[in-house]
Amino acid sequence: MSALDTVGGTSGPEHPSKRRRVDDDSIDSTPRDGSPDPLQGHHLSIRRGRPQSHPGSRSPRASHLDGDDGGNQFRSPSPLSPRGSRPGSRESSRTARRARRYSRSGSGSPSVSRSHSQTPRSHRSRSHSSSSSASRSRSRSSSSSSNRSLGSQEQQTPRLSDAEPAPAPSTQRTHITPQYRRKLALRGHTAAISQVRISPDGRWIASASADGTARIWDAQTGEHLDTLVGHMAGVSCLAWAPDSNTLATGSDDKAIRLWERVTANPAHECGDGGRTPVANGGGRGGKLRTETRGGKTGRGPLLGHQNYVYCLAFSPKGNMLASGSYDEAVFLWDVRAGRLMRSLPAHSDPVSGIDFCRDGTLVVSCSTDGLIRVWDTSTGQCLRTLVHEDNPPVTNVCFSPNGRFILAFNLDNSIRLWDYVGGTVKKTYQGHSNKGYSIGGSFSLLAEEDQEAIDGNGADRGSQIQPFVASASEEGDIVLWDVKTKSVVQRISGAHKGVCFWVDVNGGIMVSAGQDRVINVFRQVSTLPNGRAKLQPHALESETPNLAAAADDELQRQIQEEAGSPLRHVKEELV
Amino acid sequence: MNLLLSDDYLLQDYPENITNTIRSGHSTCVRFNRKGDYLASGRVDGTVVIWDLDTMGVARKLRGHAKNITSLSWSRCGRYLLSACQGWTAILWDLQTGKRHREVRFRAPIYAAELHPWNHHQFAAALFEEQPMLVDITDPIDVKLTLPSVQKRANADADAATKEKQAKEDARHMTTAIVYMATGDHLLTGTSKGRLNIIDTRTREIIFSEKIAAGVVTTLRLTESGKVLLVNAQDRIIRTFHVPNLSVPDLDPDTIQLPLEHKFQDVVNRLSWNHVTFSATGEYVAASTYNNHELYIWERGHGSLVRMLEGPREEQGVIEWHPHKALLAACGLETGRINIWSVTSPQRWSALAPDFAEVEENVEYIEKEDEFDIHPQEEIQKRRLDAEDEDVDVVTIPKDHDDVESFRMPILFNLGESDSEEEFVNVSLGTLRRKSPGGEDVEAVKEEKAPAKKAAGTARARGKKK
Repeated sequence: MSALDTVGGTSGPEHPSKRRRVDDDSIDSTPRDGSPDPLQGHHLSIRRGRPQSHPGSRSPRASHLDGDDGGNQFRSPSPLSPRGSRPGSRESSRTARRARRYSRSGSGSPSVSRSHSQTPRSHRSRSHSSSSSASRSRSRSSSSSSNRSLGSQEQQTPRLSDAEPAPAPSTQRTHITPQYRRKLALRGHTAAISQVRISPDGRWIASASADGTARIWDAQTGEHLDTLVGHMAGVSCLAWAPDSNTLATGSDDKAIRLWERVTANPAHECGDGGRTPVANGGGRGGKLRTETRGGKTGRGPLLGHQNYVYCLAFSPKGNMLASGSYDEAVFLWDVRAGRLMRSLPAHSDPVSGIDFCRDGTLVVSCSTDGLIRVWDTSTGQCLRTLVHEDNPPVTNVCFSPNGRFILAFNLDNSIRLWDYVGGTVKKTYQGHSNKGYSIGGSFSLLAEEDQEAIDGNGADRGSQIQPFVASASEEGDIVLWDVKTKSVVQRISGAHKGVCFWVDVNGGIMVSAGQDRVINVFRQVSTLPNGRAKLQPHALESETPNLAAAADDELQRQIQEEAGSPLRHVKEELV
Repeated sequence: MNLLLSDDYLLQDYPENITNTIRSGHSTCVRFNRKGDYLASGRVDGTVVIWDLDTMGVARKLRGHAKNITSLSWSRCGRYLLSACQGWTAILWDLQTGKRHREVRFRAPIYAAELHPWNHHQFAAALFEEQPMLVDITDPIDVKLTLPSVQKRANADADAATKEKQAKEDARHMTTAIVYMATGDHLLTGTSKGRLNIIDTRTREIIFSEKIAAGVVTTLRLTESGKVLLVNAQDRIIRTFHVPNLSVPDLDPDTIQLPLEHKFQDVVNRLSWNHVTFSATGEYVAASTYNNHELYIWERGHGSLVRMLEGPREEQGVIEWHPHKALLAACGLETGRINIWSVTSPQRWSALAPDFAEVEENVEYIEKEDEFDIHPQEEIQKRRLDAEDEDVDVVTIPKDHDDVESFRMPILFNLGESDSEEEFVNVSLGTLRRKSPGGEDVEAVKEEKAPAKKAAGTARARGKKK
């Protein structure tokens, strides 16, 4: 809600009379492009049970606005809130939020397997612990049984890619267009893959899976390099340190582990989460010291979260790690010492996404409570809260490459680009489907001049750099938008069977992962300076839906084959 | 980037109270790097510790000196750190590897060694009972050039006895403080007799000399711009001077003037000052006091005392002001802790709830014409999306400050291992305290002996013998 700026002075002409209309916003926004067809949304809402489609579920927040007569004035564009009245109204807003949560659970839909199917929820010791709704669906599971159930769900999910509109013709004014072609399909994970990320130097791919492991792959060859075993439950998230030599993984076992990429060993010799001082008295004798260290703490994980760790981000210097958890807190860790530096009581729902801005001074976190909060890293204070007036749950956030905007993935089939200083939505990207899962995406930068896509943030090139937004989609597609025109510039249909959970782009490489346990690696096809794609014929063909579908069937067949020998790593060259 | 969102610029620009206390061994001197994200501290045992100010944790430990560290100096890029110790050596550390880049030995303990502001292969050192040196370490064999402390006398016609007497006098005239001017072409030195000299680094001759203080000059500091000089002397007076611009092409040494700007002193208590520092912009001057627990902060514009910082019940030694924040670091003389003073901004509660705003007084609410109009959902949505026609730039990075510093300190995970002589306890968030402050932690094990550290007992004994 861009209340701040409207309050601040101008009356927000672009959103006239927004407050009241909230009531009427109960029906979830229908995407403008209309590409995800209603049938599918309906289908997913069975699994996910997002209450947006339910008029009543939207209302509590709105009714809070209504019911609080005076409060409405305080909150309205030209506020007169005397200081004294603030606590009360804040309180009421809090209750309203809680009410929303209850209503969400009341929508009766079974919640989802963000990593656990319904069972192990009892240790969520919050007041709303009974509501199973709070969990989100990234469909990862800690137990093999739920894996199986997941698989069956996957099969129940009808493939709807045919129902989509054809990929938008690239008629935009830009000179370069993303032309990503699938090059590799990496398999080896035995459960759905929740996140996949390319290392900052572009050479490695790391994937986190519900099978409790993370894997490291070579981005060029697709070779499986290492499997990081140590978590006791599904791995939800991972983050690369900026030097590409350390990897952090967060899991449903509430722990965060740091790994050396080269050795695949835990990075910390003595990380103990800062709970206990390092072995004391051991300094007198080296041998004793080593023993006490190893015995007591070992190469331990970062412990401190009281619930599933759901999102991770490294600071640009690599000295801090931010983590968000189902315990609704954001933690900032000192990476070197493995020590908890700061805990921010961030949200009133699980923290679903987190990111650092490029100079490391800001952390953004988001939650299914619909809030996006911007934090000052050094003081731990909240500097800004962003809420869309429809209050859709936010499942993922990231900063723009220059750190001036925040890209937020909402569960109303929209990705929004926020100007966090002004507190306004600058762009809304639609055309993918995202109603129930916390899917991810990223910015993609392509350089215009040198036909090679640039790696990382090579913003200093003289060439024009073209930004795109890439996101996964719940029907298994990957969609790329032009940042400025909001038009879909590439759609890779049927990249995954079932839900595609995560897309990460680093220059010319794009990786995606999904429910089908496969990681797809895409490469930007080099374009001529005048913008026409210099495509190999076979590359073009592989983009046609038929072939893609055929490849998918092939993938699916191999997945089923693999079910017998889950530890086999198959590398497949598609082109 | 957080400045876009915070009102911190409204806060006062000098520190208010202690926010952190960090400790690793017994620190005697501290220095911020130019960017202000790392703090180097030198310990009594010769170890140099690099602190990460983001995490308030140790980022690196550099072992190589055997004696008390007396001065630290960062290179502009932040990758190299020059440390000087009482044990006659100065080491230029490469923080990428944590190894010594160069080591230079002198024939006397070092008061201060200062890196050239642009070239990390050149530095100047003020030595104890020796003449200062200009050292060039570009080549594998370092070139040491002696600098004068006294201007050449223009008395060719004096008799031999006078000359001898003067020579004797001059030999007792020592340089006690040395600092490069902003361009690096000239050095400012303070002497044991209260003189301030300007030395041309090419000719290595004093081009200007003036008696500015009645006692030994102990500290010389320049602002970031290099236009104002801060002098601490043993005559209990802190002075600031305007530094002349010496980079004009036809510089006549006779026209150089060094006008005095302010004198800061405590005339009531007759306090003497341990160490002085400029604030980030040079707007304030801070000093630690001898035999007293307080830090004094003066405002330079009016020359008035603005604040006396109460610290722990401990005399503070070296103090340093953060290069761009209102943050002061000072070393406690007794405990060797580094105390950090800064400002804490209050949480703005309206930031937590975007539908609230903090207003100073009641504001009449005027309903807008279409405030309660009911529009169909689709229309709202469409209007909203159509309004998003602004051009956004998600790529361009504003070039407001220099990002030249591309050096990134490696993140070490084995610091716990090297920290083994200290037991840290979490006192509060972001604060570390040693568990047993009285504990002995002399550690003279050098780098190459690191593998032998497993036998810490023997190494320790060896260290003590030194």
